Amino acid sequence: MPQARSRSIAKTAMWTLVAAGGIGAAVGLTVFRAGWYNVGATSPHFGVVFRLLEQAMRYSVRNHADGIATPPLGQAEALRGALVYRDNCAQCHGGPGVSPSTHGLSMQPVPGPLVDASTKWKPRELYWITRHGIKMSGMPAWEFHLSEADTWATVAFINRLPAMSAREYRALTATAPAAGQQGGMQ
Amino acid sequence: MKAARTLAAAMLAAAACLSTGGCDSGPKPPPGVLGDPGRGKLALTQYACHACHKIPGVTGSDVYVGRPLEGLAKRRFIAGNLLNNQPNLMHWIRDPQSVYADSAMPNLGVSEKDARDISAYLLTLD
Repeated sequence: MPQARSRSIAKTAMWTLVAAGGIGAAVGLTVFRAGWYNVGATSPHFGVVFRLLEQAMRYSVRNHADGIATPPLGQAEALRGALVYRDNCAQCHGGPGVSPSTHGLSMQPVPGPLVDASTKWKPRELYWITRHGIKMSGMPAWEFHLSEADTWATVAFINRLPAMSAREYRALTATAPAAGQQGGMQ
Repeated sequence: MKAARTLAAAMLAAAACLSTGGCDSGPKPPPGVLGDPGRGKLALTQYACHACHKIPGVTGSDVYVGRPLEGLAKRRFIAGNLLNNQPNLMHWIRDPQSVYADSAMPNLGVSEKDARDISAYLLTLD
């Protein structure tokens, strides 16, 4: 009875899958509803979860920034960007020789330094991240708070960071006038 | 029966790990080192040490802004030419600018107790 036999195998396989799915869902619901998952920022992700989320972010940014045209970013933009950076970014990201403020130190994920950001991201990707922020990471979107020109100026400055000493950073960000918070887009 | 009890104990331990986020009693630092390495391992994430340094046992990005801290306990010198011992390590952690005025590593406002525990953890890394 080969036909009856294969039908019984298929039936067993199906019910096994259904049972496994049901048990999995019950366990998941229990963990979810009982609040066993620790959302505290003092409890780290498992390494594999962290790497998966980080890699997903990389692919997402690469995909969404594709097609953005980078304007010429010169000395003038970098100098302006230094002030925008000082006023809006250094609080969480710090700078060469400069600590983030307290709230930037103990976030999870940690905002991290940007001195190596231009070795990991293209200018258009840095622009996209600044403009749109990163969900669930604490990185805010600046689209409605920084002008287009200031956003690109920030990217220009971040591009200079890898070669910048603590002394140069101090000098560039010490310039008196605060960067304008014009808001909106130009 | 005995096997079942062992299994139950293991599951309880695993559940405790998951809910507190810290399982390891951890490796011990060399003799003479003060402080609590377990607390230091948590404390260093609250001062964003792992934002710039790769630190074994701490989840984070592959980052090389600061020097990776793997094998720190085995190094003879830290921060260039400071002898590697706990008081020097605490001093460097708490006030890098007093060692090098132009150090890119900022002063993060680490308290003495936290620096002791952080250095205790780092000195377990061999």
